[in-house]
Amino acid sequence: MELMEGELEKITAEVEQVIKDQGTERERLIPILQGVQEKLGYLPKEAMKKVAEAVEVSEVEIYEIATFYNQFRLNPPGKHQIKVCMGTACHMTGGNIIMESFERRLDIKEGETTPDREFSLERVACVGCCALAPVVVVDENVEAKVRPTRVDGILLGFDMEKKAAEKEMQKAASEQKTQEEEG
Amino acid sequence: MANSVTITIDGKQISAAEGDKLLWVALENGIYIPHLCGIKEKEKPDASCRLCFVEVEGMANPVTSCTLPVTDGMVVKTRTERVDRLIATGFELLLTNHRLGCAKCAKNGSCQLQKIAKERGLKLRLTRLRSVLKEMQTDDSLGSVAFDPSRCVLCGQCVWADRKENKGNIGFIRRGISRKVSTFGEVPLAESGCTRCGKCVEVCPVGALVKNS
Amino acid sequence: MSVLGTDTQKTYQELKDQAVQAVEGLNTKSYVLVGTATCGRAAGALNVLETFRSEIGKHNVDAEIIEVGCMGHCYAEPMVIVYKPGFPKICYGSVDEGIATRLVTDFLVNDDPCFDFAMAALEPNDFFPTFEDFPRGVYEQKVVLSDCGLIAPDDIEQYIARDGYGGLAKALSKEPERVITEVKDSNLRGRGGAGFPTGVKWEICRNAEGDTKYVICNADEGDPGAFIDRALLESNPHQLIEGLAIAAYAIGASQGYIYVRAEYPLAIERLKTAIGQAREKGIIGNSVMGSNFSFDIKIFQGSGAFVCGEETALIASIEGNAGIPNHRPPFPAVSGLHGKPTIINNVKTLSYITHIIRNGAEWFKSIGTPGTPGTAVFALAGKVVGTGLVEVPMGTTIRTLIYDVADGIKNEKNFKAVQIGGPSGGCLPESSLDLPIDFDSLQQAGAMMGSGGLVVLDEEDCMVEIARFFLEFTQNESCGKCTFCRLGTKQMLDILTDITKGKGKLEDIDLLLELAVDIKAGSLCALGKTAPNPVLTTIRFFRDEYEAHITEGRCPALMCKELITYVIDEKKCSKLCDACIGSCPVEAVYTRSDMLKDIYLDKCVKCDNCLVTCLPLYQAVIKVSPPIEAGGNQNG
Repeated sequence: MELMEGELEKITAEVEQVIKDQGTERERLIPILQGVQEKLGYLPKEAMKKVAEAVEVSEVEIYEIATFYNQFRLNPPGKHQIKVCMGTACHMTGGNIIMESFERRLDIKEGETTPDREFSLERVACVGCCALAPVVVVDENVEAKVRPTRVDGILLGFDMEKKAAEKEMQKAASEQKTQEEEG
Repeated sequence: MANSVTITIDGKQISAAEGDKLLWVALENGIYIPHLCGIKEKEKPDASCRLCFVEVEGMANPVTSCTLPVTDGMVVKTRTERVDRLIATGFELLLTNHRLGCAKCAKNGSCQLQKIAKERGLKLRLTRLRSVLKEMQTDDSLGSVAFDPSRCVLCGQCVWADRKENKGNIGFIRRGISRKVSTFGEVPLAESGCTRCGKCVEVCPVGALVKNS
Repeated sequence: MSVLGTDTQKTYQELKDQAVQAVEGLNTKSYVLVGTATCGRAAGALNVLETFRSEIGKHNVDAEIIEVGCMGHCYAEPMVIVYKPGFPKICYGSVDEGIATRLVTDFLVNDDPCFDFAMAALEPNDFFPTFEDFPRGVYEQKVVLSDCGLIAPDDIEQYIARDGYGGLAKALSKEPERVITEVKDSNLRGRGGAGFPTGVKWEICRNAEGDTKYVICNADEGDPGAFIDRALLESNPHQLIEGLAIAAYAIGASQGYIYVRAEYPLAIERLKTAIGQAREKGIIGNSVMGSNFSFDIKIFQGSGAFVCGEETALIASIEGNAGIPNHRPPFPAVSGLHGKPTIINNVKTLSYITHIIRNGAEWFKSIGTPGTPGTAVFALAGKVVGTGLVEVPMGTTIRTLIYDVADGIKNEKNFKAVQIGGPSGGCLPESSLDLPIDFDSLQQAGAMMGSGGLVVLDEEDCMVEIARFFLEFTQNESCGKCTFCRLGTKQMLDILTDITKGKGKLEDIDLLLELAVDIKAGSLCALGKTAPNPVLTTIRFFRDEYEAHITEGRCPALMCKELITYVIDEKKCSKLCDACIGSCPVEAVYTRSDMLKDIYLDKCVKCDNCLVTCLPLYQAVIKVSPPIEAGGNQNG
């Protein structure tokens, strides 16, 4: 993946900050990678190289870790993250049907991000809300007892939010324009 | 200097240094036990190939000989019904994810899988199980060396040799069924900082890393 | 030593006096406890919290709002407890914004406790029953859950006021060996899965050579179906911190770790706060409660790998590596983190410790069975009415748990099986309902206590599918290091997938059994060694379901997608309703010329929408198995 202008500088600055906070001991390696991902949303190759250099391990060792754990992402996530719980209780109450509904509606497969980078779809092993199955974690919110029909509702909510935001922006832009014209 | 102990393997009395791992004691005394991942100098054995099972008197279940330090009076059997069954299954499982076709393989004749098959009377084809092999490209980027991941048995010999010789350019990436030997960012070997030392080719027990003819 | 002990007791008494005073201050006015653990939040607890805040502000009521953890009644979330001087504390369930508003205007402003919405009172009174008056309350015996949902997890004073950290103070006044003896005498068995005696583990570690030792709390609750550790961390983190500190003192460690999975962000947040408070009070840090014992705790956040629940993988992960297990021995108690003697105990195990030290081994042994004393905590999920967390004495039967404690099966369906112990456990049928639960009895039955997940399955759950689900889970979570787990579980998964698609052969069942035996014997770590359990138990108890899939192409539970067809029963369908049509994402449902609805089978994606939306009055959408070939039922 090609980086955009200015991205490398941002990556370097964030990684340096995380390393400064965490130190460079081997035991801090996973917390460093977690910190970098928290800042950047994923682990760009350039960031992994910097971490390898600072902690003094080979680059491939960082890559081993980054590809071993579920949480680490090698590509930027969508603006909204949808995590469908695939724990036992969720599965038995139709978690897979919920996953398929999202896949169909977003036209992506689990683990992918929509081309407009609005949504990424992931499975999670279990979020521990088994009594409220099936469960979907949308960004930070846990949605309980999700029915297939709720999938549309969730996505519609974001759609409306986005449209409202666009409207706001248009309104602000036109107001600014009017102001400029008046001024 | 460790104490010398006497152990019995398949009825043969052998003296060995206490604490040495059984696998190496047996091999050094001409008793073959199947193995792929064992590295003698490694303090913590990987014990990942699961082929070196033996039965030891007093132990309820078969044990991996690469992890077992010998103690005085230990009585070992390398061939029992349970051991043979485990090794046969483990071996066939490895074959479910190994590209067969020995005739076309550069390692034909010196492959450890062939050796195990010969020693234990096992077939070099799938009998009960199904293939799970995925199509994977051979990495010919180095020119002199070919890396065919579809022949790799994930023994880890090459990763160990590389880290001993170099700063480490290859490793085990991903996990589960997707675990494989690769480089940072999964780039071809030639772009990985490879020093062409050739150690990985020397230690590969199968036809995954071979010299290009 | 004895002098130090007296100092510790004095320090603790001072802490406690302060705490009691602070908490008594709370009781002089009204307060509202809102359960805001993750499960409460999922049900809308944060909106309820907000409503209480605004309503209390609007009506100028002098009342405190306190966020608490989980009381275990997940089926009734969001839950709140309201206290008003002069009234008993009353608990309300399934609270929404409307009820919250009423509780403020009717109860706090006026004097009507809104019994219509109440679940139970917390203390005996003349108006309303208490939890102990319900079957769940009769059978439950709470030890580690006793304070959950009743105290604020972010207020250390509330914990101390209820004798919290008293166990640590008592432990510090004894020789470490005597602490170990107490735990050994109690016969506490590790609640993480296998049930190894905790005291023995501690003793091995204490006796192991080395000056530096570590204690680690394993809070990597990865079993899909268990949420006990999450609830304990979110509801009562201090109980765990106290247990960890006692463990550290007993084995001679000064550094502790809590390994929490990253999927539990709220637990991590509450734990961090709690550790900070304990440090501030001098309960951890240099010179714990004035003694010469120093101890501190680091939180290590997991990164999403189930296998890290395995001890050696967890250690590898803390050391900064991929979480790949190593051969044991050496066991961590002898050579663990950084090669030092290390004990790793589960959240539940450590949460019992303070109670054992405070009340003694004999008290603990008076609960439960001789082989497994104490209580069992279960996360009840699936098709039972009373889902949630329950704590019952070991030896309680599965029947009591499901029918008395959890109030039976949902929607009057028939019980089929209970899945205990998650991916390492097994499915037990109706004939096992009278099995008294403890480590040994479950193991004999082919299941496992595991981490306490208990999922109840009814007639609509397919046993082949559940076996396939668990195999898929272990296959996804296998680290891939060893041959049997990496490739063996893959073979089993492929075979099971075939069977659920109607492509299985009868010989496949035997091959599954053969592979299961070899994978159990051949795998490197417990993940692989226990992975076949769900398959073994389902074949043992539900072989007929496997055979129905294979020989008849039929899924008796109507669950396996490839083996079912959605159809509309024209006798039940109403001409007046077209809810199903609107719900279909692929336009497979249509109106026939006679105004009844039908489904184009070739278009149907089996998303379940039409079945869910069809009004209960009609229930016209049904599933049939074996499936109808497309074109076979086109009668419109």
